[in-house]
Amino acid sequence: MWGFQILEAPTLCSTPELIGEDYMSSSTLATKGTEPPATGPRASTTPRRHRTRHAESRGAWILLAPYLALLLVAAAIPIGYAFWIALQKAPTLVDPTSGFGGFDSFITVITDYRFSGTFINIFSVMIVWLPLMMVGIVGLALLVHASPGRFGDTMRFFYFIPGALSGIANFVLWVYLLHPTQSPLAPLWQEVGFGSLKEIVTDGNMPMILTGMLFFQGVGTWIIVVNGGLNGIPDEIFEAAKIDGASAWDLAWHIKLPLIRPWIGYAALMNLAYGFQLFLEPYLLRQISSGAIAGEWAPTQLGYAFAFTNRNFPAAAALSIILLVITLSIGVVIVMKSGLFGDEKEKKR
Amino acid sequence: MSNSAPGVVGAKHWTVGRIARITVMVIVAAAFILPIIGFIAMAFRSQEGVLAGTDGFLGLGGVSWDNVVFSWSQINGFGPGDGGLFTRWVGNSLVIAIVGGVLALIAALPAGYALARLRFRGRKVLLFATLLAMVMPNTVLVIPLFLEVNAIGAVGQLWPVAVIMGFFPFGTYLVYIHFMTTMPQELVEAARIDGLSEISTFFYVALPISKQVVALVAFFSFVANWTNFFLPLALLTSNQENKTISIGIQELIGASPLFNATVAAGLDVKLYMPQLALATFISMIPLLIVFLTAQRFLMRGQTVGAVKG
Repeated sequence: MWGFQILEAPTLCSTPELIGEDYMSSSTLATKGTEPPATGPRASTTPRRHRTRHAESRGAWILLAPYLALLLVAAAIPIGYAFWIALQKAPTLVDPTSGFGGFDSFITVITDYRFSGTFINIFSVMIVWLPLMMVGIVGLALLVHASPGRFGDTMRFFYFIPGALSGIANFVLWVYLLHPTQSPLAPLWQEVGFGSLKEIVTDGNMPMILTGMLFFQGVGTWIIVVNGGLNGIPDEIFEAAKIDGASAWDLAWHIKLPLIRPWIGYAALMNLAYGFQLFLEPYLLRQISSGAIAGEWAPTQLGYAFAFTNRNFPAAAALSIILLVITLSIGVVIVMKSGLFGDEKEKKR
Repeated sequence: MSNSAPGVVGAKHWTVGRIARITVMVIVAAAFILPIIGFIAMAFRSQEGVLAGTDGFLGLGGVSWDNVVFSWSQINGFGPGDGGLFTRWVGNSLVIAIVGGVLALIAALPAGYALARLRFRGRKVLLFATLLAMVMPNTVLVIPLFLEVNAIGAVGQLWPVAVIMGFFPFGTYLVYIHFMTTMPQELVEAARIDGLSEISTFFYVALPISKQVVALVAFFSFVANWTNFFLPLALLTSNQENKTISIGIQELIGASPLFNATVAAGLDVKLYMPQLALATFISMIPLLIVFLTAQRFLMRGQTVGAVKG
């Protein structure tokens, strides 16, 4: 999955010390490894200095202009507009007028008979998928890290390949795997008594099916992320532990695991946020199961139905705002608390 | 893993732990790779062979180029008249993925540089907003984006999709990290003393040392744009000519007799599993090309301490 997951998986580069030599040599800098001296705020504020600061600030905003424009168009304005729409009254056949409706749309959404069900569906998947995902990510990352050299590199690459099949490609692959007669797993499906896709793709099997799909496409990328965290640990720590008689198991359990806790927390939260926005998989599973799965299985699908089936834009907007608040809250925790972004880099300035 | 010691297989003793570790890793790798091999083989098989079940292990015995030629005639025949929708969708995907990627670069390079190396009021807020936008799942914004595009009456057109994809906060963050780690503040100061304006410093000092990060941003944004599903679904479904390949494949699935006998009965082309697998395989080729092109930079990026993605 080079797609979503990667889009969301940031470059976790905590300190310049972690940067390899080859990267540095790609730049033409003779000053590698040295701390840039603190400048600016502590310098005396002569008029000339002041003018420089002003020019610097103006230059910054000019350089930022294209990005800010896109930020406005693709994030800020739609969010603001969705807020505004959500506060409108939905026109109905009886009363085609629209106007200010207060929080009516939010009430419409929350009291919709499908609303709580969509979240229960999501939780039913997450309860199976998240623990498996975390064990898989951390376990495989530790195994890869315990296998230096070509074998470990090859395995890591193999684990990454399914991630390349993102979104719809992963889905079609899984249709092939789930097909009760054409899949390489067909004997297994028939053994369990599944004769058609409709018998496999049922509400009860959704947690297992989605766990399979999401694990398969997501785990490889996250192994690389956590592996990056492991590679950032200085070798001396492992050597010291080995001298003290630590076995490979001790090393993994008592030393590596505690040290990569920030990455584990980060992976858990990112995947949690990812769970709330599932759309493609349940949407298409409905399609291949001749409607055995509800059209409004996930919260995003309910929003889609409000917008495109009911044409109730205020309700669709209200549901988006609810999902936005949930995922933004998780996002704030990730950025502020994971310890992977922020302050240590600020100090480097 | 350039920093790891060169491990020579067989140099250590075959302890129980070592055998267990290698066994587990190989089994997991097989579980990941075999389905993909079987799926690719499926793209080269015929529906007859699939039904007869005589193609052997993973269907590898039933692959042939003739099957591909036939399957392609079915895929390419999909659509009104003589078909051709599939290639049109691939073309649309190329347009929005490339335009979106170029926009992402135009926005991310100067913005990431400014965030990393210039001081201005609001810098921390902007950085925080960028991080937040980056870690947030992007489908959450699709309905609000649809409402916005609908308000200006541009639903069904390609350009709004490309523009929205141009907003790529992860790219800005990559550039930010790049300048934080490779371009010392002294260099900016030196440029200032030499009389360069802030803008010129960016163009003449910062940009020339940005090849690596340009490749990374271009790669990640192209892949994200190519595989995006929900945004094109919401914005382009109304216009069949302007669909992207990701939602186009969804339409092919919907037209397959495997899942929808009534729709499929009305079509001249028959899209069974081999055809769907081939369509998916073809839709992955641009990603494969981009990956192979960018691989040099990606692999280097991976050895760069904890630079991961």
